[in-house]
Amino acid sequence: MGKDKLKPFEHATLWDNFRGGSDEAFSRLYELFSADLYRYGYNLVRNKQLVEDCLHELFLHLHNHRGRLGPTDNIQFYLYRALRRRLTDSVSKLNKLDSEDYIFDRAEFIIQPHESQLIDQQVLERQRKIVIIELNKLPKRQKEILYLVYMKGLTYQQASEVMDITMKSVYNTINVALTTLRKYLQESFKREGLLFLMFIISSISILLS
Amino acid sequence: MNYSVYDVQEFCEDIDFIRWVVSPTEELNQFWNAFLITNPSKSKDIQIAREYIKTLHFQEIEVEEEALTLLKNRIWNDINKPAIIIQWWNRPRYWVAAAVIFMVASFGMFWWNQDRQIYHTDFGQIRKISLEDGSVVTLNAHSSLRVAENLNELKVREVWLDGEAYFDIAKLNGAKFIVHTSEAEIEVLGTEFNVNTRRKKTKVVLHEGKVKLSVDSVQAVVMKPGDMATVLDRKKPIQLKIVKPEQYEFWKQSIIVLNDKSVSEVLEILEDNYGITIQFENPIILNKKLSGKLSIKSSDEFIQNFATILDAEFEKTEKGYFFR
Repeated sequence: MGKDKLKPFEHATLWDNFRGGSDEAFSRLYELFSADLYRYGYNLVRNKQLVEDCLHELFLHLHNHRGRLGPTDNIQFYLYRALRRRLTDSVSKLNKLDSEDYIFDRAEFIIQPHESQLIDQQVLERQRKIVIIELNKLPKRQKEILYLVYMKGLTYQQASEVMDITMKSVYNTINVALTTLRKYLQESFKREGLLFLMFIISSISILLS
Repeated sequence: MNYSVYDVQEFCEDIDFIRWVVSPTEELNQFWNAFLITNPSKSKDIQIAREYIKTLHFQEIEVEEEALTLLKNRIWNDINKPAIIIQWWNRPRYWVAAAVIFMVASFGMFWWNQDRQIYHTDFGQIRKISLEDGSVVTLNAHSSLRVAENLNELKVREVWLDGEAYFDIAKLNGAKFIVHTSEAEIEVLGTEFNVNTRRKKTKVVLHEGKVKLSVDSVQAVVMKPGDMATVLDRKKPIQLKIVKPEQYEFWKQSIIVLNDKSVSEVLEILEDNYGITIQFENPIILNKKLSGKLSIKSSDEFIQNFATILDAEFEKTEKGYFFR
Protein backbone atom coordinates (compact mmCIF):
# COMPACT_ATOMS: atom_id res chain seq x y z
CA MET A 1 0.00 0.00 0.00
CA GLY A 2 2.88 2.34 0.74
CA LYS A 3 1.67 5.86 0.18
CA ASP A 4 -1.95 5.13 0.81
CA LYS A 5 -2.46 6.33 4.35
CA LEU A 6 -5.65 8.26 3.80
CA LYS A 7 -8.40 8.08 6.37
CA PRO A 8 -11.89 7.17 5.16
CA PHE A 9 -13.14 10.74 5.28
CA GLU A 10 -10.08 11.87 3.29
CA HIS A 11 -10.87 9.25 0.67
CA ALA A 12 -14.42 10.56 0.49
CA THR A 13 -13.28 14.18 0.21
CA LEU A 14 -10.65 13.48 -2.45
CA TRP A 15 -13.15 11.43 -4.43
CA ASP A 16 -15.85 14.09 -4.17
CA ASN A 17 -13.41 16.81 -5.27
CA PHE A 18 -12.46 14.69 -8.24
CA ARG A 19 -16.10 14.04 -9.12
CA GLY A 20 -16.72 17.76 -8.81
CA GLY A 21 -14.24 18.35 -11.63
CA SER A 22 -10.95 19.15 -9.84
CA ASP A 23 -7.96 18.27 -12.04
CA GLU A 24 -5.73 18.55 -9.02
CA ALA A 25 -7.72 15.83 -7.26
CA PHE A 26 -7.45 13.70 -10.40
CA SER A 27 -3.65 14.07 -10.43
CA ARG A 28 -3.54 13.21 -6.78
CA LEU A 29 -5.57 10.06 -7.37
CA TYR A 30 -3.01 8.98 -9.93
CA GLU A 31 -0.07 9.76 -7.64
CA LEU A 32 -1.58 7.90 -4.70
CA PHE A 33 -2.90 4.80 -6.40
CA SER A 34 -1.23 4.14 -9.75
CA ALA A 35 1.85 2.28 -8.43
CA ASP A 36 -0.22 0.07 -6.16
CA LEU A 37 -2.73 -0.68 -8.90
CA TYR A 38 0.16 -1.49 -11.22
CA ARG A 39 1.50 -4.03 -8.72
CA TYR A 40 -1.90 -5.66 -8.29
CA GLY A 41 -2.42 -5.68 -12.05
CA TYR A 42 0.95 -7.28 -12.63
CA ASN A 43 0.16 -10.02 -10.14
CA LEU A 44 -3.10 -10.60 -11.99
CA VAL A 45 -1.73 -10.94 -15.52
CA ARG A 46 2.11 -10.78 -15.55
CA ASN A 47 1.99 -8.57 -18.62
CA LYS A 48 3.22 -5.02 -18.16
CA GLN A 49 1.84 -3.76 -21.40
CA LEU A 50 -1.63 -5.12 -20.75
CA VAL A 51 -1.56 -3.59 -17.26
CA GLU A 52 -0.47 -0.22 -18.60
CA ASP A 53 -3.11 -0.26 -21.32
CA CYS A 54 -5.84 -1.11 -18.83
CA LEU A 55 -4.68 1.58 -16.39
CA HIS A 56 -4.66 4.02 -19.28
CA GLU A 57 -8.25 3.13 -20.19
CA LEU A 58 -9.31 3.09 -16.56
CA PHE A 59 -8.05 6.57 -15.69
CA LEU A 60 -9.34 7.97 -18.96
CA HIS A 61 -12.73 6.45 -18.25
CA LEU A 62 -12.74 7.86 -14.71
CA HIS A 63 -11.89 11.33 -15.99
CA ASN A 64 -14.45 11.34 -18.78
CA HIS A 65 -17.28 9.96 -16.66
CA ARG A 66 -16.49 11.64 -13.37
CA GLY A 67 -19.87 13.36 -13.22
CA ARG A 68 -21.62 10.01 -13.28
CA LEU A 69 -19.52 8.06 -10.77
CA GLY A 70 -20.94 7.04 -7.40
CA PRO A 71 -19.47 8.02 -4.03
CA THR A 72 -16.88 5.92 -2.16
CA ASP A 73 -14.94 6.16 1.06
CA ASN A 74 -12.37 3.61 -0.07
CA ILE A 75 -10.85 4.59 -3.38
CA GLN A 76 -8.33 1.77 -3.35
CA PHE A 77 -11.08 -0.84 -3.22
CA TYR A 78 -13.10 0.99 -5.88
CA LEU A 79 -10.12 1.10 -8.26
CA TYR A 80 -9.06 -2.50 -7.56
CA ARG A 81 -12.49 -3.70 -8.56
CA ALA A 82 -12.50 -1.57 -11.69
CA LEU A 83 -9.00 -2.66 -12.74
CA ARG A 84 -9.69 -6.34 -12.17
CA ARG A 85 -12.81 -6.17 -14.32
CA ARG A 86 -10.96 -4.42 -17.10
CA LEU A 87 -8.10 -6.88 -17.05
CA THR A 88 -10.43 -9.89 -17.01
CA ASP A 89 -12.35 -8.42 -19.95
CA SER A 90 -9.19 -7.77 -21.95
CA VAL A 91 -7.89 -11.23 -21.30
CA SER A 92 -11.16 -12.87 -22.30
CA LYS A 93 -11.25 -10.76 -25.46
CA LEU A 94 -7.81 -12.16 -26.19
CA ASN A 95 -9.11 -15.66 -25.77
CA LYS A 96 -12.57 -16.54 -24.59
CA LEU A 97 -11.69 -19.99 -23.39
CA ASP A 98 -9.59 -19.45 -20.32
CA SER A 99 -9.54 -15.94 -18.91
CA GLU A 100 -10.05 -17.32 -15.39
CA ASP A 101 -7.13 -19.65 -15.93
CA TYR A 102 -4.93 -16.77 -16.69
CA ILE A 103 -5.83 -14.40 -13.86
CA PHE A 104 -3.47 -14.43 -10.84
CA ASP A 105 -1.86 -17.51 -12.34
CA ARG A 106 1.73 -16.66 -11.62
CA ALA A 107 1.54 -14.78 -8.32
CA GLU A 108 3.55 -16.45 -5.57
CA PHE A 109 4.05 -16.17 -1.85
CA ILE A 110 7.63 -15.36 -0.94
CA ILE A 111 9.55 -15.36 2.28
CA GLN A 112 9.69 -11.85 3.54
CA PRO A 113 12.74 -11.22 5.69
CA HIS A 114 11.74 -9.40 8.84
CA GLU A 115 12.96 -9.30 12.38
CA SER A 116 11.17 -11.24 14.99
CA GLN A 117 11.71 -10.39 18.59
CA LEU A 118 10.27 -13.68 19.67
CA ILE A 119 12.09 -16.46 18.07
CA ASP A 120 15.25 -18.25 17.16
CA GLN A 121 15.60 -16.94 13.60
CA GLN A 122 16.94 -20.14 12.07
CA VAL A 123 14.10 -22.30 13.27
CA LEU A 124 11.60 -19.72 12.14
CA GLU A 125 13.20 -19.39 8.70
CA ARG A 126 13.02 -23.14 8.17
CA GLN A 127 9.40 -23.30 9.31
CA ARG A 128 8.52 -20.35 7.14
CA LYS A 129 9.94 -22.02 4.04
CA ILE A 130 7.68 -25.00 4.62
CA VAL A 131 4.67 -22.74 5.13
CA ILE A 132 5.39 -20.82 1.94
CA ILE A 133 5.59 -24.04 -0.04
CA GLU A 134 2.27 -25.16 1.45
CA LEU A 135 0.61 -21.81 0.83
CA ASN A 136 1.78 -21.73 -2.76
CA LYS A 137 -0.06 -25.00 -3.35
CA LEU A 138 -3.39 -23.26 -2.69
CA PRO A 139 -5.63 -22.62 -5.70
CA LYS A 140 -4.97 -19.22 -7.20
CA ARG A 141 -8.40 -17.83 -6.31
CA GLN A 142 -7.65 -18.52 -2.65
CA LYS A 143 -4.23 -16.96 -3.01
CA GLU A 144 -5.76 -13.84 -4.45
CA ILE A 145 -8.14 -13.57 -1.51
CA LEU A 146 -5.21 -13.78 0.90
CA TYR A 147 -3.34 -11.23 -1.16
CA LEU A 148 -6.18 -8.73 -1.00
CA VAL A 149 -6.87 -9.21 2.70
CA TYR A 150 -3.40 -9.73 4.17
CA MET A 151 -1.28 -7.60 1.90
CA LYS A 152 -3.65 -4.90 0.81
CA GLY A 153 -5.81 -4.71 3.93
CA LEU A 154 -9.18 -4.97 2.19
CA THR A 155 -12.14 -6.09 4.29
CA TYR A 156 -13.69 -9.49 3.60
CA GLN A 157 -16.66 -7.79 2.02
CA GLN A 158 -14.45 -5.71 -0.27
CA ALA A 159 -12.33 -8.68 -1.27
CA SER A 160 -15.45 -10.65 -2.17
CA GLU A 161 -16.74 -7.76 -4.29
CA VAL A 162 -13.43 -7.21 -6.08
CA MET A 163 -13.31 -10.87 -7.04
CA ASP A 164 -17.04 -11.34 -7.52
CA ILE A 165 -17.29 -14.25 -5.10
CA THR A 166 -19.30 -15.01 -1.97
CA MET A 167 -18.31 -13.94 1.53
CA LYS A 168 -18.40 -17.61 2.46
CA SER A 169 -15.49 -18.44 0.17
CA VAL A 170 -13.52 -15.58 1.69
CA TYR A 171 -14.12 -16.89 5.23
CA ASN A 172 -13.24 -20.44 4.19
CA THR A 173 -10.01 -19.35 2.57
CA ILE A 174 -8.92 -17.31 5.57
CA ASN A 175 -9.55 -20.37 7.69
CA VAL A 176 -7.53 -22.67 5.47
CA ALA A 177 -4.60 -20.27 5.50
CA LEU A 178 -4.62 -19.78 9.26
CA THR A 179 -4.81 -23.51 9.81
CA THR A 180 -1.77 -24.00 7.59
CA LEU A 181 0.12 -21.29 9.45
CA ARG A 182 -0.77 -22.78 12.82
CA LYS A 183 0.12 -26.28 11.78
CA TYR A 184 3.61 -25.41 10.63
CA LEU A 185 4.56 -22.41 12.71
CA GLN A 186 3.21 -23.37 16.11
CA GLU A 187 5.97 -25.92 16.80
CA SER A 188 8.60 -23.23 16.72
CA PHE A 189 6.55 -20.95 18.91
CA LYS A 190 6.06 -23.70 21.48
CA ARG A 191 9.78 -24.22 21.78
CA GLU A 192 10.21 -20.51 21.94
CA GLY A 193 7.67 -20.31 24.75
CA LEU A 194 10.11 -22.28 26.88
CA LEU A 195 13.00 -20.01 26.02
CA PHE A 196 10.82 -17.03 26.78
CA LEU A 197 10.02 -18.44 30.21
CA MET A 198 13.69 -19.12 30.92
CA PHE A 199 14.50 -15.59 29.89
CA ILE A 200 11.98 -14.23 32.38
CA ILE A 201 13.23 -16.48 35.17
CA SER A 202 16.82 -15.46 34.56
CA SER A 203 15.88 -11.76 34.50
CA ILE A 204 14.06 -12.18 37.79
CA SER A 205 16.98 -14.00 39.39
CA ILE A 206 19.31 -11.23 38.26
CA LEU A 207 16.98 -8.68 39.78
CA LEU A 208 16.81 -10.61 43.04
CA SER A 209 20.53 -11.15 43.47
CA MET B 1 -14.90 -5.31 20.25
CA ASN B 2 -13.36 -6.83 23.30
CA TYR B 3 -9.81 -7.54 22.19
CA SER B 4 -8.70 -8.54 25.69
CA VAL B 5 -10.30 -12.00 25.20
CA TYR B 6 -9.01 -12.52 21.62
CA ASP B 7 -6.68 -15.39 20.76
CA VAL B 8 -4.11 -15.55 17.95
CA GLN B 9 -6.64 -16.76 15.40
CA GLU B 10 -9.14 -14.04 16.25
CA PHE B 11 -6.51 -11.35 15.94
CA CYS B 12 -5.53 -12.74 12.55
CA GLU B 13 -9.14 -12.52 11.40
CA ASP B 14 -9.71 -8.99 12.60
CA ILE B 15 -9.46 -6.46 9.80
CA ASP B 16 -8.38 -3.58 12.02
CA PHE B 17 -5.62 -5.71 13.46
CA ILE B 18 -4.54 -6.78 9.93
CA ARG B 19 -4.47 -3.16 8.81
CA TRP B 20 -2.28 -2.25 11.75
CA VAL B 21 0.22 -4.91 10.62
CA VAL B 22 0.18 -4.30 6.87
CA SER B 23 -0.26 -0.53 6.71
CA PRO B 24 0.00 1.11 10.10
CA THR B 25 -1.29 4.62 10.54
CA GLU B 26 -0.65 6.87 13.50
CA GLU B 27 -4.17 6.26 14.70
CA LEU B 28 -3.78 2.47 14.60
CA ASN B 29 -0.37 2.64 16.29
CA GLN B 30 -1.80 4.69 19.12
CA PHE B 31 -4.71 2.36 19.60
CA TRP B 32 -2.69 -0.87 19.68
CA ASN B 33 0.12 0.53 21.81
CA ALA B 34 -2.42 1.71 24.34
CA PHE B 35 -4.06 -1.72 24.22
CA LEU B 36 -0.72 -3.44 24.89
CA ILE B 37 -0.06 -1.25 27.89
CA THR B 38 -3.41 -2.05 29.45
CA ASN B 39 -3.32 -5.74 28.43
CA PRO B 40 0.30 -6.92 28.78
CA SER B 41 -0.85 -10.55 28.97
CA LYS B 42 -1.89 -10.33 25.31
CA SER B 43 1.53 -9.25 24.04
CA LYS B 44 2.67 -12.76 23.13
CA ASP B 45 -0.52 -13.55 21.17
CA ILE B 46 -0.21 -10.26 19.38
CA GLN B 47 3.40 -10.94 18.43
CA ILE B 48 2.51 -14.36 17.07
CA ALA B 49 -0.46 -13.00 15.16
CA ARG B 50 1.83 -10.36 13.64
CA GLU B 51 4.28 -13.08 12.57
CA TYR B 52 1.46 -15.04 10.94
CA ILE B 53 0.19 -12.09 9.00
CA LYS B 54 3.64 -11.02 7.86
CA THR B 55 4.28 -14.53 6.59
CA LEU B 56 1.38 -14.15 4.14
CA HIS B 57 3.52 -12.07 1.84
CA PHE B 58 3.40 -12.03 -1.94
CA GLN B 59 6.08 -11.24 -4.39
CA GLU B 60 5.51 -7.82 -5.93
CA ILE B 61 7.35 -5.81 -8.52
CA GLU B 62 8.90 -2.42 -7.96
CA VAL B 63 7.10 -0.13 -10.35
CA GLU B 64 9.52 2.16 -12.12
CA GLU B 65 8.92 5.89 -11.68
CA GLU B 66 9.62 6.26 -15.38
CA ALA B 67 6.90 3.83 -16.43
CA LEU B 68 4.36 5.68 -14.29
CA THR B 69 5.39 9.06 -15.68
CA LEU B 70 5.19 7.83 -19.25
CA LEU B 71 1.79 6.33 -18.58
CA LYS B 72 0.63 9.54 -16.93
CA ASN B 73 1.71 11.53 -19.99
CA ARG B 74 -0.16 9.11 -22.22
CA ILE B 75 -3.33 9.54 -20.15
CA TRP B 76 -3.10 13.32 -19.80
CA ASN B 77 -2.35 13.56 -23.50
CA ASP B 78 -5.59 11.80 -24.36
CA ILE B 79 -7.52 13.95 -21.90
CA ASN B 80 -6.19 17.18 -23.36
CA LYS B 81 -6.60 16.25 -27.00
CA PRO B 82 -9.78 18.23 -27.77
CA ALA B 83 -8.40 21.44 -26.23
CA ILE B 84 -5.28 21.33 -28.38
CA ILE B 85 -7.21 21.00 -31.62
CA ILE B 86 -8.89 24.36 -31.07
CA GLN B 87 -5.63 26.23 -30.59
CA TRP B 88 -3.63 24.25 -33.03
CA TRP B 89 -3.84 26.61 -36.04
CA ASN B 90 -3.09 29.72 -34.08
CA ARG B 91 0.38 28.70 -33.00
CA PRO B 92 3.13 29.56 -35.46
CA ARG B 93 5.49 26.96 -34.13
CA TYR B 94 3.05 24.26 -35.17
CA TRP B 95 3.30 25.59 -38.70
CA VAL B 96 7.06 25.27 -38.55
CA ALA B 97 6.75 21.80 -37.10
CA ALA B 98 4.21 20.87 -39.78
CA ALA B 99 6.52 22.16 -42.52
CA VAL B 100 9.45 20.17 -41.12
CA ILE B 101 7.35 17.04 -40.81
CA PHE B 102 6.13 17.52 -44.38
CA MET B 103 9.69 17.80 -45.65
CA VAL B 104 10.90 14.81 -43.69
CA ALA B 105 7.86 12.85 -44.79
CA SER B 106 8.29 13.68 -48.47
CA PHE B 107 11.93 12.75 -48.25
CA GLY B 108 10.92 9.51 -46.57
CA MET B 109 8.30 8.80 -49.24
CA PHE B 110 10.85 9.44 -51.93
CA TRP B 111 13.27 7.12 -50.16
CA TRP B 112 10.77 4.31 -49.90
CA ASN B 113 8.93 5.31 -53.03
CA GLN B 114 7.27 2.27 -54.54
CA ASP B 115 7.53 -0.42 -51.95
CA ARG B 116 7.50 1.49 -48.73
CA GLN B 117 5.64 -1.29 -46.95
CA ILE B 118 8.44 -3.82 -47.30
CA TYR B 119 11.41 -3.75 -44.96
CA HIS B 120 14.51 -5.71 -45.70
CA THR B 121 17.84 -6.35 -43.99
CA ASP B 122 21.13 -7.56 -45.47
CA PHE B 123 23.49 -10.12 -43.99
CA GLY B 124 24.83 -8.86 -40.68
CA GLN B 125 22.36 -5.95 -40.49
CA ILE B 126 19.84 -5.60 -37.65
CA ARG B 127 17.14 -3.02 -37.96
CA LYS B 128 14.61 -1.54 -35.57
CA ILE B 129 11.34 -0.56 -37.24
CA SER B 130 8.63 1.58 -35.66
CA LEU B 131 5.31 0.79 -37.27
CA GLU B 132 2.48 3.28 -37.73
CA ASP B 133 0.44 1.75 -34.91
CA GLY B 134 3.20 2.22 -32.32
CA SER B 135 4.48 -1.35 -32.45
CA VAL B 136 8.22 -1.88 -32.67
CA VAL B 137 9.74 -4.68 -34.70
CA THR B 138 13.42 -5.58 -34.51
CA LEU B 139 14.29 -7.28 -37.75
CA ASN B 140 17.21 -9.68 -37.67
CA ALA B 141 19.75 -9.91 -40.48
CA HIS B 142 18.81 -11.24 -43.91
CA SER B 143 15.09 -11.01 -43.24
CA SER B 144 12.14 -9.21 -44.67
CA LEU B 145 8.88 -7.92 -43.31
CA ARG B 146 5.87 -6.88 -45.34
CA VAL B 147 3.40 -4.60 -43.58
CA ALA B 148 -0.21 -3.96 -44.57
CA GLU B 149 -0.96 -0.39 -45.60
CA ASN B 150 -2.67 2.03 -43.20
CA LEU B 151 -1.97 -0.23 -40.27
CA ASN B 152 -3.50 2.31 -37.93
CA GLU B 153 -6.98 2.09 -39.38
CA LEU B 154 -7.31 -1.64 -39.76
CA LYS B 155 -9.44 -3.89 -37.57
CA VAL B 156 -6.92 -6.65 -38.22
CA ARG B 157 -3.32 -5.55 -38.49
CA GLU B 158 -1.35 -7.97 -40.64
CA VAL B 159 2.35 -8.46 -41.40
CA TRP B 160 4.25 -11.16 -43.28
CA LEU B 161 7.65 -12.33 -42.07
CA ASP B 162 10.47 -14.15 -43.77
CA GLY B 163 13.52 -14.60 -41.52
CA GLU B 164 13.58 -13.64 -37.88
CA ALA B 165 12.13 -10.74 -35.89
CA TYR B 166 11.28 -9.65 -32.38
CA PHE B 167 7.85 -8.07 -32.03
CA ASP B 168 6.77 -5.59 -29.39
CA ILE B 169 3.13 -5.02 -30.28
CA ALA B 170 1.20 -1.94 -29.19
CA LYS B 171 -2.39 -2.46 -28.16
CA LEU B 172 -4.75 -0.55 -30.42
CA ASN B 173 -8.47 -0.35 -29.59
CA GLY B 174 -8.68 -4.11 -29.55
CA ALA B 175 -7.43 -4.45 -33.14
CA LYS B 176 -5.81 -7.83 -33.66
CA PHE B 177 -2.25 -8.15 -34.88
CA ILE B 178 -1.37 -11.16 -37.02
CA VAL B 179 2.09 -12.28 -38.08
CA HIS B 180 1.99 -14.58 -41.11
CA THR B 181 4.79 -17.00 -41.88
CA SER B 182 4.79 -19.71 -44.48
CA GLU B 183 4.00 -22.28 -41.79
CA ALA B 184 1.68 -20.49 -39.36
CA GLU B 185 -0.27 -17.48 -38.20
CA ILE B 186 0.45 -15.80 -34.88
CA GLU B 187 -2.38 -13.74 -33.48
CA VAL B 188 -1.95 -11.21 -30.67
CA LEU B 189 -3.46 -8.23 -28.93
CA GLY B 190 -0.46 -6.62 -27.29
CA THR B 191 2.65 -8.47 -26.28
CA GLU B 192 6.31 -9.27 -26.94
CA PHE B 193 7.61 -12.32 -28.77
CA ASN B 194 10.24 -13.63 -31.15
CA VAL B 195 9.49 -15.31 -34.48
CA ASN B 196 12.06 -17.28 -36.46
CA THR B 197 11.15 -18.76 -39.86
CA ARG B 198 14.57 -20.06 -40.90
CA ARG B 199 15.18 -23.55 -42.27
CA LYS B 200 11.60 -24.16 -43.34
CA LYS B 201 10.09 -24.03 -39.88
CA THR B 202 8.50 -21.37 -37.72
CA LYS B 203 9.64 -20.98 -34.13
CA VAL B 204 7.78 -18.63 -31.80
CA VAL B 205 9.09 -17.72 -28.34
CA LEU B 206 6.72 -15.72 -26.15
CA HIS B 207 8.34 -13.19 -23.84
CA GLU B 208 5.34 -11.47 -22.32
CA GLY B 209 1.56 -11.55 -22.75
CA LYS B 210 -0.38 -14.09 -24.71
CA VAL B 211 -0.56 -15.16 -28.33
CA LYS B 212 -2.58 -17.62 -30.33
CA LEU B 213 -0.67 -19.65 -32.84
CA SER B 214 -2.67 -21.26 -35.63
CA VAL B 215 -1.50 -23.55 -38.33
CA ASP B 216 -4.80 -24.26 -40.03
CA SER B 217 -8.48 -24.17 -39.16
CA VAL B 218 -8.09 -27.12 -36.79
CA GLN B 219 -4.71 -26.74 -35.16
CA ALA B 220 -4.14 -23.84 -32.76
CA VAL B 221 -2.45 -23.34 -29.40
CA VAL B 222 -2.56 -20.51 -26.89
CA MET B 223 0.94 -19.74 -25.69
CA LYS B 224 1.97 -18.50 -22.25
CA PRO B 225 5.13 -16.53 -21.49
CA GLY B 226 8.22 -18.77 -21.69
CA ASP B 227 6.65 -21.15 -24.22
CA MET B 228 8.44 -21.97 -27.44
CA ALA B 229 6.32 -23.37 -30.25
CA THR B 230 7.82 -25.02 -33.31
CA VAL B 231 5.86 -25.61 -36.52
CA LEU B 232 7.53 -27.84 -39.06
CA ASP B 233 4.79 -27.70 -41.62
CA ARG B 234 1.07 -27.16 -41.69
CA LYS B 235 0.27 -30.85 -41.52
CA LYS B 236 2.41 -31.74 -38.53
CA PRO B 237 1.45 -31.13 -34.89
CA ILE B 238 2.76 -28.02 -33.13
CA GLN B 239 5.59 -28.79 -30.71
CA LEU B 240 5.60 -26.87 -27.44
CA LYS B 241 8.35 -26.58 -24.88
CA ILE B 242 9.29 -24.27 -22.03
CA VAL B 243 12.40 -22.16 -22.54
CA LYS B 244 14.11 -19.07 -21.16
CA PRO B 245 12.87 -16.40 -23.61
CA GLU B 246 15.94 -14.18 -23.03
CA GLN B 247 18.12 -16.83 -24.67
CA TYR B 248 16.24 -16.31 -27.91
CA GLU B 249 16.51 -12.53 -27.93
CA PHE B 250 20.27 -12.00 -27.67
CA TRP B 251 20.56 -11.57 -31.43
CA LYS B 252 19.09 -8.09 -30.95
CA GLN B 253 22.38 -7.14 -29.31
CA SER B 254 24.42 -9.01 -31.96
CA ILE B 255 25.21 -11.81 -29.54
CA ILE B 256 25.12 -15.49 -30.41
CA VAL B 257 24.17 -17.79 -27.55
CA LEU B 258 26.16 -21.01 -27.78
CA ASN B 259 24.64 -22.74 -24.76
CA ASP B 260 23.64 -26.32 -25.56
CA LYS B 261 24.05 -25.73 -29.26
CA SER B 262 26.18 -27.96 -31.41
CA VAL B 263 28.75 -26.50 -33.76
CA SER B 264 26.52 -27.31 -36.73
CA GLU B 265 23.63 -25.32 -35.22
CA VAL B 266 25.90 -22.32 -34.79
CA LEU B 267 26.98 -22.69 -38.40
CA GLU B 268 23.33 -22.47 -39.48
CA ILE B 269 22.92 -19.21 -37.55
CA LEU B 270 26.07 -17.79 -39.16
CA GLU B 271 24.87 -18.76 -42.61
CA ASP B 272 21.31 -17.47 -42.10
CA ASN B 273 22.20 -14.14 -40.58
CA TYR B 274 25.65 -13.23 -41.77
CA GLY B 275 26.14 -15.24 -44.94
CA ILE B 276 29.28 -16.71 -43.43
CA THR B 277 30.16 -20.32 -44.26
CA ILE B 278 32.78 -22.37 -42.46
CA GLN B 279 34.29 -25.63 -43.70
CA PHE B 280 35.88 -28.04 -41.26
CA GLU B 281 38.81 -30.30 -41.93
CA ASN B 282 37.56 -32.63 -39.22
CA PRO B 283 33.74 -32.99 -39.50
CA ILE B 284 33.49 -34.68 -36.08
CA ILE B 285 33.74 -31.22 -34.54
CA LEU B 286 30.28 -30.44 -35.95
CA ASN B 287 28.62 -32.47 -33.21
CA LYS B 288 30.54 -30.85 -30.38
CA LYS B 289 28.33 -29.07 -27.83
CA LEU B 290 29.25 -25.54 -26.87
CA SER B 291 28.52 -23.15 -24.03
CA GLY B 292 28.72 -19.42 -23.39
CA LYS B 293 27.95 -16.38 -25.56
CA LEU B 294 29.87 -14.65 -28.32
CA SER B 295 29.53 -11.15 -29.69
CA ILE B 296 29.27 -10.87 -33.45
CA LYS B 297 29.39 -7.09 -33.84
CA SER B 298 32.44 -7.66 -36.03
CA SER B 299 32.60 -10.88 -38.03
CA ASP B 300 36.43 -11.00 -38.06
CA GLU B 301 36.55 -10.84 -34.30
CA PHE B 302 33.86 -13.50 -34.08
CA ILE B 303 35.74 -15.93 -36.30
CA GLN B 304 38.88 -15.36 -34.26
CA ASN B 305 37.07 -16.10 -30.97
CA PHE B 306 35.15 -19.01 -32.42
CA ALA B 307 38.40 -20.61 -33.59
CA THR B 308 39.89 -20.13 -30.13
CA ILE B 309 36.93 -21.86 -28.50
CA LEU B 310 37.25 -24.81 -30.89
CA ASP B 311 41.01 -24.83 -30.54
CA ALA B 312 41.40 -24.57 -34.32
CA GLU B 313 43.52 -22.71 -36.84
CA PHE B 314 41.63 -20.96 -39.63
CA GLU B 315 42.24 -19.41 -42.99
CA LYS B 316 40.07 -17.28 -45.24
CA THR B 317 38.96 -18.95 -48.46
CA GLU B 318 37.02 -17.85 -51.49
CA LYS B 319 33.71 -19.07 -50.07
CA GLY B 320 34.29 -18.30 -46.39
CA TYR B 321 36.57 -19.85 -43.84
CA PHE B 322 38.41 -23.12 -43.46
CA PHE B 323 39.01 -24.47 -39.93
CA ARG B 324 41.66 -27.11 -39.25
